[in-house]
Amino acid sequence: MPGPEEPTVIVGIGEFYAGRNPMSSIGLGSCIGLVIYDKDKPLGALAHIMLPDSQGRSERPAKYADTAVKFLVKELNMLGCRSSSLAAKICGGASMFQTFSGNLNIGERNVEAIKFHLKELNIPIVAEDVGGIVGRTIVYNPAENGKVSIKTADGTKKII
Amino acid sequence: MLNSQQRDALRELGNIGAAHAATTLSTMLMSNIEMEVPEISVVDISKIHEHVGDELSALVIFQITGEVSGGGYVLLHIPKNSVIRLTNAMLGMTELERDLTEMDESALLEIGNIMVSAFLDATATLLSIIMLPSPPSMIIDMPHAAFQTILAMQQFSDIDQVVIFRTELRSDQHKISSNLFLLPNKPMLDEILSMLENLMK
Repeated sequence: MPGPEEPTVIVGIGEFYAGRNPMSSIGLGSCIGLVIYDKDKPLGALAHIMLPDSQGRSERPAKYADTAVKFLVKELNMLGCRSSSLAAKICGGASMFQTFSGNLNIGERNVEAIKFHLKELNIPIVAEDVGGIVGRTIVYNPAENGKVSIKTADGTKKII
Repeated sequence: MLNSQQRDALRELGNIGAAHAATTLSTMLMSNIEMEVPEISVVDISKIHEHVGDELSALVIFQITGEVSGGGYVLLHIPKNSVIRLTNAMLGMTELERDLTEMDESALLEIGNIMVSAFLDATATLLSIIMLPSPPSMIIDMPHAAFQTILAMQQFSDIDQVVIFRTELRSDQHKISSNLFLLPNKPMLDEILSMLENLMK
């Protein structure tokens, strides 16, 4: 069992981590930090999801909402988590700029897609901090029962 | 994704653009500007956080339009403390322990417009085309959040690697640091590279 000094795993865009170490995604804008954790064990996973739909791509499963949800659940199953003990928290999906074309509210579409795919697998969403216009840095430590701490650029902190 | 000759050509192009941007900043601040040699990096999207972080900063962001295919962005990135020193230097103020206000935002938009126009003008002149900045969008937030939102937009969404072009511009006298980023998508990068190749023939 790792101690509190266990290094934090930084999960970059399109990446994931599943295990016992603390994990963090830096500067989520329209991207989503999806945390799926085991309610009974100090185990969980984080995916840094960039886009709602993989359109059939299979490389980088954590990059897309549809593939990431299934993939995290599979990873957690392999670590010994039962699907019925899993719960999810979602952070991010902000709308950073209004003025550029081609934006099409990607953050909102990411949130919708993730909710849809979690529902398909019957994984409840316990808490969320999504939307708005600000970026977020999140840290999740499996040793703290699914607590996710969120920091925004102005220094505001909260825990969900 | 880039060979060393292409890298050199891009660095030279950026050098010329950044030098013009530095001159305008120097004029506005009436101070010397130190300019680093531009860095050209091919970065995997999962490693963007090693290049831009989540510290509070101002970003003035322009979409590139004009006679060039594809899409791209120019970003002027200034960390919060430098923004305050910059506005103070321009308006003759001294208070350093303050929040960013509308005054900072209008100063930044002004500076951003002038610097980015100079940057694009100089690079476009070299390539003998016209490149124009869109009206700017400004955010005061985490640079990584802005970058990834841009990458999630249509023009970039199917790629896993980006070319990031960065030049640091500093005023040591006023302790101001800023970064000018150019983020071209693949079609724009390819077109710029082929124009540079023709120039060197």
